Amino acid sequence: METVHHATDVLVVGGGLAGTNAAIAAAEKGRQVVVADKGKIERSGDVGGGVDHFLAYLNENDDWDTQDAFLKYVEQVGKGTGHLSIIESVYCAELKDSLDRMARIGNPLTQPDGRFYRTRSMGQPGTYWINFNGKRLKPCLGKAVRRLGCTVLDKFMIVDLLTRDGAVVGAVGFHIRSGVWHIIRSKATIIATGNTNRLYENPRINPFNTWLCPFDTGDGQVMAFNAGAALTNMEYMRMTLLPKGFAAPGFNALVGMGGRFLNSLGEYFMEKKHPMGNRAPRYDVVYFTLEEIRSGHGPIYIDCRHLTDQDLDHLMASLGYDKDTLPDYFEQRGEDLRSRPVEVTVSEGMQAGPTEVTGSGIKIDTESAATVPGLFACGDAADHNRCVHGAVAGGYKAGKSAAAYAAATKSKDSPPISVPREMIERFTYPLHRSSGYPYTQIEQAVRKIMAEHIGPRRTEGGMRTGLQKLSSLEQYLDEIKVSDLHELMRARETCSLIEVGKMMGKAALFRTESRNKPYHHRLDYPETDNEAWCGLVILKKEGDDISCSFEPITNP
Amino acid sequence: MPPAFNREKCTGCGYCDSICPADAIYMRDEGEKQEPFLKYPEECWHCGSCRQDCPEGAIEIIFPPDMLSI
Repeated sequence: METVHHATDVLVVGGGLAGTNAAIAAAEKGRQVVVADKGKIERSGDVGGGVDHFLAYLNENDDWDTQDAFLKYVEQVGKGTGHLSIIESVYCAELKDSLDRMARIGNPLTQPDGRFYRTRSMGQPGTYWINFNGKRLKPCLGKAVRRLGCTVLDKFMIVDLLTRDGAVVGAVGFHIRSGVWHIIRSKATIIATGNTNRLYENPRINPFNTWLCPFDTGDGQVMAFNAGAALTNMEYMRMTLLPKGFAAPGFNALVGMGGRFLNSLGEYFMEKKHPMGNRAPRYDVVYFTLEEIRSGHGPIYIDCRHLTDQDLDHLMASLGYDKDTLPDYFEQRGEDLRSRPVEVTVSEGMQAGPTEVTGSGIKIDTESAATVPGLFACGDAADHNRCVHGAVAGGYKAGKSAAAYAAATKSKDSPPISVPREMIERFTYPLHRSSGYPYTQIEQAVRKIMAEHIGPRRTEGGMRTGLQKLSSLEQYLDEIKVSDLHELMRARETCSLIEVGKMMGKAALFRTESRNKPYHHRLDYPETDNEAWCGLVILKKEGDDISCSFEPITNP
Repeated sequence: MPPAFNREKCTGCGYCDSICPADAIYMRDEGEKQEPFLKYPEECWHCGSCRQDCPEGAIEIIFPPDMLSI
């Protein structure tokens, strides 16, 4: 069996927004860098096709436009879900440089006239969203990564981390077209693999019709967990509001420009239900929309008819920056925001951070380091990064920290690694099985179990049943048959989904309260209990089991 | 299913195949040249990257009936 060996200072797993920023940082510090991505870094990840928003305070305007006010906002919408000291270090301290860097690589966050276009939504005290044309952001980042001399492994899936004496020392993976295996020895490894999608039944039928990238399936979180790293905030089932048949993002643009949520009775329900109305935190908008639908007040619409022509022009352009094909979708469906409300509904569930400013996944410290030596994390895979701003700022921070760690690690400290041939043979066995189940059958069962038992309305009994079903589903993982390398990749993703589902169930059972409803809504513990539960549920691997513990947050 | 490839305009450069984040687009021999085809149509995320980057403007996005009707 042909294998390729690499020895590098820093390995970045995932070349999306966070991963490319991490690679740039480590390379700018003079380190050798390898970046691996299942796609091609010029168009991979959540914002591969484009993006239109970046959350920032700019010290330009009123009291709300400062770091202090921003951190107050974090505490207000994300109480008990993040340490402000970490957010200060991995985001605030990196913000100014992040804005400059995006301009430097060729995709500035300003309008053609050089100014920032700013809007407000999601509980913000002021206009924290910078609205911009990010359609060339990933191509520019990819070019910057290659220009810095990084080794890029495109169409490459990392399947496991390699450890020695409790530290991460590299990773192993395969090229999804050639099937060639690579063993990468690295002094520092950064996980930047995004959040977990395809985990819940999809209201738009196709499981790949998701809000966030459907090829992000928690692989990095699972690898880190198996290597001994702690994870946090895994109980949160994130949802948003999206156009009815197409999971295209655009919520912040629609609401930021002044869109109003309307029910089938003709009522602007958010304006009655929440003091901030349509600009309430996202989880509140989702919660009240679910209530409306359950009350028989659906379908739900977004109404933009009252906006000025100028604002509507800006909105339509912006929607196309965030999802290149959304304007085509509206046109082919016969929708027109200018003349009538457009039907929206609650998205599929996913595992992701409980707010725009607090994340979930690999537990990181102020230096973006995981709890295992040699391992770092950023972007939606890390528990104190979230969204575009978190990936750009937190990615760079993780890259700098990993570079410093690698510089302090001598090569002789990390001798060559051998990967047992049996491990690779076991992994590729589904290619050679004469009969077996398609991965899709297992994956559909995961989504059904998650939706029915570990979904938006949770109880102890339901979640225990769900966990049992996930465990019994696992026996079939050894009977998956795939017909090519592409399916081998997808089958590995299915394994990650079961693991993430179990983690969600365990953490959600442990947290006997509700927080950021409906993202963690316990029908048997419907209230938020800040006395007992203001903090993070920490998950760790203990033998074959998952252990839970609690870390209080006492933000000033 | 999106995307749809215009065979007249396509030169078979394979860039769409290389960048598709779903690994859904593959190339195959078609007479004298190579042509892209959608090997895993259900996995398209409709991100539009292939259309944006196609040097010949040979890609059109056509949404399927379920997405347009539900």
